[in-house]
Amino acid sequence: MSIFCDECGKNIATVFLVKLAGSEISRLQLCEECSKKMEEATEAASLIALVPQIISGMQSAVDGNLQEEVFSGEPRVCEECGTSLNDFKKLGYLGCSSCYKAFGDALENSILEFHGSNKHTGKTPTKLSREARLRLKIAELERNLRKRIAEEEYEAAAAVRDEIRQIESILNSEGSESEKE
Amino acid sequence: MRKNKYFSVHPQWASEKGPGYPVILASRARLARNIEGIPFPPAADEEDLERVRGMVLESVARRVVDDEEWDIKFAEELSREHLSLLAEQHVISRSFVEKTRGRAIAARWVSGRGVMVNSHNHVKIFAIIAGAQLMKAWELADKIDSSIERDVVYSFDQRLGYLTSSPVDVGTGLRVSTMLHLPALVITGEIGKTVLALGQSEIVVRGMHGRGTGVSGNLFVMSNKRTLGLSEKDIITHVESISRKVAENERTARKILIQESKLAISDRVFRALGVLERARKLEFLEAVELLSLVKLGVDMEILPVADFSIVDAVMRVGNSHLKALKGLELEEEELDRERAIHVRRILDL
Repeated sequence: MSIFCDECGKNIATVFLVKLAGSEISRLQLCEECSKKMEEATEAASLIALVPQIISGMQSAVDGNLQEEVFSGEPRVCEECGTSLNDFKKLGYLGCSSCYKAFGDALENSILEFHGSNKHTGKTPTKLSREARLRLKIAELERNLRKRIAEEEYEAAAAVRDEIRQIESILNSEGSESEKE
Repeated sequence: MRKNKYFSVHPQWASEKGPGYPVILASRARLARNIEGIPFPPAADEEDLERVRGMVLESVARRVVDDEEWDIKFAEELSREHLSLLAEQHVISRSFVEKTRGRAIAARWVSGRGVMVNSHNHVKIFAIIAGAQLMKAWELADKIDSSIERDVVYSFDQRLGYLTSSPVDVGTGLRVSTMLHLPALVITGEIGKTVLALGQSEIVVRGMHGRGTGVSGNLFVMSNKRTLGLSEKDIITHVESISRKVAENERTARKILIQESKLAISDRVFRALGVLERARKLEFLEAVELLSLVKLGVDMEILPVADFSIVDAVMRVGNSHLKALKGLELEEEELDRERAIHVRRILDL
């Protein structure tokens, strides 16, 4: 085994790496200088490489199904959060739970391709407690409140605010009981 | 083993010997969850993030926290150095270090359990324990999950399961991983075949200190690819049984090294020990690589060095850890010098 750097062949290697690319495996030994250079190069490329393999797998599945989407003609945007299918393709993240419905078949096919299934068989949430339902309601109302304020509908906003307070007072009076559960 | 001597929040799992030692080092379970009616973190505005943070932390404080060892912090409160340290300890992801706004971490560091708020999903529950014990790691995470679920409504679809910001996590939202030390498979070149086979078994492999797709210190992480269409137990059993098979192959490779190339392997691990003993400055990757070889030498009873935990040692010689210890801005060269000193302490040289 040589003691010199694989890259420059001049300096003594002090950094040892195993590089995996797909199923290909290569061993590298580098000197300090070359390892830094390689690190910089990898860092730049890492935008793709650093994302776990699984994401890139999903990405290619999305790309494939997106092609079909382009031919079908209508650009899809989630009405709930404004995320477009294109945003998802670029970033790899959906905007909200409604995106799953909004992007329909294109996403569905990618999921099926990636997971080999589109049916969940694991844990399901326990039936919502009355408290959780009330909290959900508050969250909904709070969103509504912000929207009203943004649109300067102050009277409507006040009504929503009162409703939130009312539910909160129910929660507070019941809170002490549920903590004992 | 010198425990907690260098830094106060050092995770137990890193220094404990669990089932599968010394090949399988640790098991980790992570659950991704989101709260219904609020955009996922990548698309959420600040108000959304703060609301999620409030809801989740309140629930964690009320139902999960069971003793004073729990630490609840807004990410903005933590210094960059502290966050980097947590990333080095495999607790948080690197991206968490870059962006802190609206994020939070609640954790019981010593036991490796906790909840990250607003990383890529609203809630990410994690549990790391020593050895091949994925089921136990998942049970710990699942318990936290069920507790939080009593206070919040998770995004859940009857058909697709738990909805996550990335569809690669949809369904169970469960990603389990094992951390393995596989020096003999790398030295004998068998690792290439192993990685190929793992890919076919839908197991994702990467280096523990992955830079790009690189692996250093022969430390690997194996996780499930699929999160949908399988039950949690199926996912766990699959990853654990494959990890055990790989560990078995590593043990076989070690036996072959001893039988067929004892002089070569002895020479290699003794040289590694020699460098660690004499070096006056060590780069991180060089230290990791040599520590891995020395650990192999110890496991194979070639080297006259007391047993040590490789994953613990690697954490202790990390840049962030060294900086935290010294409590100051160390220049690169000083870091390398400190690292050489620490390696000698860890190995009792």
